[in-house]
Amino acid sequence: MNEHTVVTINGKEFLAEPGQNLLQLMNEAEEQVPQICYNESLGPIQTCDTCIVQVDGELTRACGTSVKAGMKVQTKLPHVHKAQKESLDRILEKHELYCTVCDYNNGSCEIHNTMAEFGLEHQSRPFQPTSYEKDNSGSFYRYDPDQCILCGRCVEVCQDVQVNETLTIDWDRKEPRVIWDNDVPIDESSCVNCGQCSTVCPCNAMMEKGMEGDAGFLTDTEPGILKSMINLTKKVETGYGPLFAVSDTEAAMREEVIEKEKTVCTYCGVGCSFDVWTKGREILKVEPSAESPANGISTCVKGKFGWDYVNSEERLQKPLIRRGDHFEEVEWDEAIAHVADRMTQIKEEKGADHLAFISSSKATNEESYVMQKLARQVIGTNNVDNCSRYCQAPATKGLFRTVGYGGDSGSIDDIASSKLVLTIGSNTAESHPVLASRIKRSQKLFGQKLFVFDLRKHEMAKRADRFYQPKTGTDLVWLSAVAKYILDQGWEDQSFLNEWVNGFDEYRESLEPFTMEYASELTGIPEQELKDVAKEIAHSESVVVCWAMGVTQHMLGSDTSTAISNLLLITGNYGKPGTGAYPLRGHNNVQGCSDFGSMPNFFPGYEATSDDEVRARYEKAWDATIPKEAGMDNHEMIEAIHNGELSMMYVMGEDTGIVDANINYVTDAFEKLDLFIVQDLFLTKTAEYADVVLPASPSLEKEGTFTNTERRIQRLYQSFEPLEGTKPDWQIIQLIAKELGRDWNYQHPSEIMHEAAGLAPLFAGVHYDRLEGYKSLQWPVAEDGSDQPLLFTEGFPFEDKKAKLYPLTYEMKYDTNEEYDLHVNNGRLLEHFHEGNMTYKSEGIRRKTPNAFIEVSKELAKERGIEEGAEVKLISEAGEASGVVTVTDRVRGKEIFLPLNDNGKSAINFLTDNRVDKDTNTPAYKEIAVKMKVLKKKGKSPIPHNNHRRGNPVPQKGVKVQEKWKREDYIFPGKGGR
Amino acid sequence: MAKAISKIKRYEVSREDQVEQDVREVKEAVADNKDSILKGIELMKALDNGGTLDSVTAFVKAKDEALANVVKEIDKDQYEPLLRNLPELVFLLGEINVTGIRDLSSRLNHGLEAMEGEGTTDKTSFFDLAKALKDPEINRSITMLLHFLKGMGR
Repeated sequence: MNEHTVVTINGKEFLAEPGQNLLQLMNEAEEQVPQICYNESLGPIQTCDTCIVQVDGELTRACGTSVKAGMKVQTKLPHVHKAQKESLDRILEKHELYCTVCDYNNGSCEIHNTMAEFGLEHQSRPFQPTSYEKDNSGSFYRYDPDQCILCGRCVEVCQDVQVNETLTIDWDRKEPRVIWDNDVPIDESSCVNCGQCSTVCPCNAMMEKGMEGDAGFLTDTEPGILKSMINLTKKVETGYGPLFAVSDTEAAMREEVIEKEKTVCTYCGVGCSFDVWTKGREILKVEPSAESPANGISTCVKGKFGWDYVNSEERLQKPLIRRGDHFEEVEWDEAIAHVADRMTQIKEEKGADHLAFISSSKATNEESYVMQKLARQVIGTNNVDNCSRYCQAPATKGLFRTVGYGGDSGSIDDIASSKLVLTIGSNTAESHPVLASRIKRSQKLFGQKLFVFDLRKHEMAKRADRFYQPKTGTDLVWLSAVAKYILDQGWEDQSFLNEWVNGFDEYRESLEPFTMEYASELTGIPEQELKDVAKEIAHSESVVVCWAMGVTQHMLGSDTSTAISNLLLITGNYGKPGTGAYPLRGHNNVQGCSDFGSMPNFFPGYEATSDDEVRARYEKAWDATIPKEAGMDNHEMIEAIHNGELSMMYVMGEDTGIVDANINYVTDAFEKLDLFIVQDLFLTKTAEYADVVLPASPSLEKEGTFTNTERRIQRLYQSFEPLEGTKPDWQIIQLIAKELGRDWNYQHPSEIMHEAAGLAPLFAGVHYDRLEGYKSLQWPVAEDGSDQPLLFTEGFPFEDKKAKLYPLTYEMKYDTNEEYDLHVNNGRLLEHFHEGNMTYKSEGIRRKTPNAFIEVSKELAKERGIEEGAEVKLISEAGEASGVVTVTDRVRGKEIFLPLNDNGKSAINFLTDNRVDKDTNTPAYKEIAVKMKVLKKKGKSPIPHNNHRRGNPVPQKGVKVQEKWKREDYIFPGKGGR
Repeated sequence: MAKAISKIKRYEVSREDQVEQDVREVKEAVADNKDSILKGIELMKALDNGGTLDSVTAFVKAKDEALANVVKEIDKDQYEPLLRNLPELVFLLGEINVTGIRDLSSRLNHGLEAMEGEGTTDKTSFFDLAKALKDPEINRSITMLLHFLKGMGR
């Protein structure tokens, strides 16, 4: 029984959705009115009053009105127009129009465009500056109170989209303004520099510093002259018409020099996409759009501002060949010939399996494809792997065992719309900030429940409805116990199990040991709490589980991932919107790198090398003989070098010598290689061991595709040419292949993708035409181009379409002991990426977070007699690392946290050892016991005074426009007066 | 045994090689854009002949200073009426009937020519005036003047 909601606007009838926002309806119906504070991605804010219309005889804000059947709306009557004009005049009292000399005059200034469209010719009341100074204190954006119209978009986005809760408008003071925390400078606040305030600001009040003085032809002028020019533009004007004509011309001229190309971020698996504005090689700003499928208008500090590395002085610009005790710069021809000769020689002398290849999760899908093609077709070995071995291979394994696809079950939208989100071993707010914000928003505004299981009390833990700290490595136990309890209580989704799941009885039996008592004892979580969790999971309408390295980087990483999937299966949380398993991918293309075949046992699309039919397909297409047996994974490669079974390694875009576990062991291996080729932007720690270093080009300098955590394939476009002397990875690999006698002759990455799509059924319909601009595809993609944002809606990819419950056992293998009495946990910092080769190149980030630090609990600090700024050495069985201490309640007891983002003495992998996940050889980075030696009892805090961790957020919902309305000097524009 | 090293011996391009390579690049660019470049030379020649090239060069070199001087000067209060007048003048131009003015000014020119000839020394009596009204050229002028005066008085 759907009643039709018919609304009459200016005498014409329109059919609305019941309860639809009136302004939204008017926009759809193209009955537009001014709407300066309204932004589709933020929803109604109701601060600017410019969208006033007459509804059933009353003047009211369209954006604050929900439609009702029979509503009559007038937008053009003289008194309506007058009220709108009054509102616009009030805005111009706060905002000086000097468009031609304004950096924001790029055709998209919403104030400029609204005034021009409205045909406002004259300012009725003069501009009134505030008594505040500009705030230039921050690294990346600045605030100009004299240009700010108090629309509150920045506050909305900070409070309710990013949910960092730093910005508010203080409506109580004489001159209201945007304030940071409790009114401190931007730089001293809790602001994490996600930059979204500057993205949504309709004018130049909140602006990226990269734009300042750079965007216009006349904006790069010294302040005094700029002021004169502003005065001048105002004196000459006789009305806004001519002013707009001049500034529009100037804006059009800017189009000539400013390039805007879409790219996909390289900093995590969320896969944010945005336009990069460049002038030559200079990056003016990063501009996300509502069309960006994974992130909308959102970004984090790295994606929005962390691109300095691209223009770093330290970029390599010539290939290097080791000669004696130094590298020599050589021409490309010489380097490629040298590489090919040496590879041929080793292959002839020792066999193809003495050569191994490591792809990069930072490189494109096409580059992963050509790397494995080089290994398999040109060399004839399956020794090819990638860094997913370091992180999410166990998750993939767990999902393959149970549901058949090794990727997220749905989209980020499903995570946002779920009724209950569990995160396990995931520092989501720092590792996947934009995705975390979706959860934070749903929890804050829409009643989503959030349960966090983690050792560390990080931001998500502080926000959680329930937060538990299970003893390290015991997640499998509570997951299984909760599953058992649900079955014991008869709370399972019986019909789902009957229809879609195999292996129930065996699984049921395997759960026998996992009693609540046993789980409580091992994990340290009280029985009753676990029972409550079980009840909530069983009775929630939809459940999503997100997990990350805290689960996978353990000896039981694959099994724990499997336990998560088992739990989701018995509660029927697959195949429906808002449900599923989400192993959050760490790097931008760690999903795609595995998807496109850089794995020792799989061709592209996860087809086994041992499958004769599949292998025959590739052998025919590539005219080559490919070995049947799986090759070596990363971990086995290092071992093989030590055993003399591997003589050459070719590493593309990976600082293996820092990011692999037990780096002393790894770098010892590098020293034993006959030929070590490293392809990178910089002379990394790993490259220092190389015989040949090939200078590559980063994402902004090339085209290709990345696949994010949602299995979403997105195109990146070139912002500028490769830095002189460097080449995109696919071109370098192609040159080597050609020198080795295989002329692939790819002119463009699209040709590589189309070859891969023709061979791998999982990507059959992936075509560059279907990925144009902001379009994307979530695999599996059928030949007709239809994709699957939500998996398993029509069953699981097994022969009978049924998923499998997978029985597990548990054995405690890791613990601290008397000598090595502390547990070291590790993870990311929001503002740094990986070993830091990229983000430490950003001056703006470095001045706020110059180095990694060791987090020590208050209890432990007291016990060891150390204070903030102490220097300690951590010693594990494998090695030692040292660093500066911060004492914090984020960690407790004898657990220590060391961010992984460092490549100096604090590098975590000096401590890690050769322990691995038993099923995937993923290093057990999270299982390190150490002892601590105090070097210095206290000192300067490693966290600078202007680090956001020292800030004091001010949470509230939205901008609190009611407080504006309550002001004595506020009169609703429709009421005449003023 | 390949120990970690970070010393790089830079690839040194000799000055001659660099020049040769640069010249090659420029030559290629010239060949690819022959027509435009020839046209460009024509343009430069034209600018140079009128002396414009020199002034433009000087202005570009002193661009920032020049702009600063002009802007600072013109922002002074005394220029405000002038600045306000400028756009008004522009609008005035829009309102004037340019064809009419052109017509009128050509007539004015004819008048001046005639004046130059013999009109400056001769004297004119009332009778001459009455007689002159019969002259069709003078009559047309007088009629036009009368209409103009009438229109101006409205």
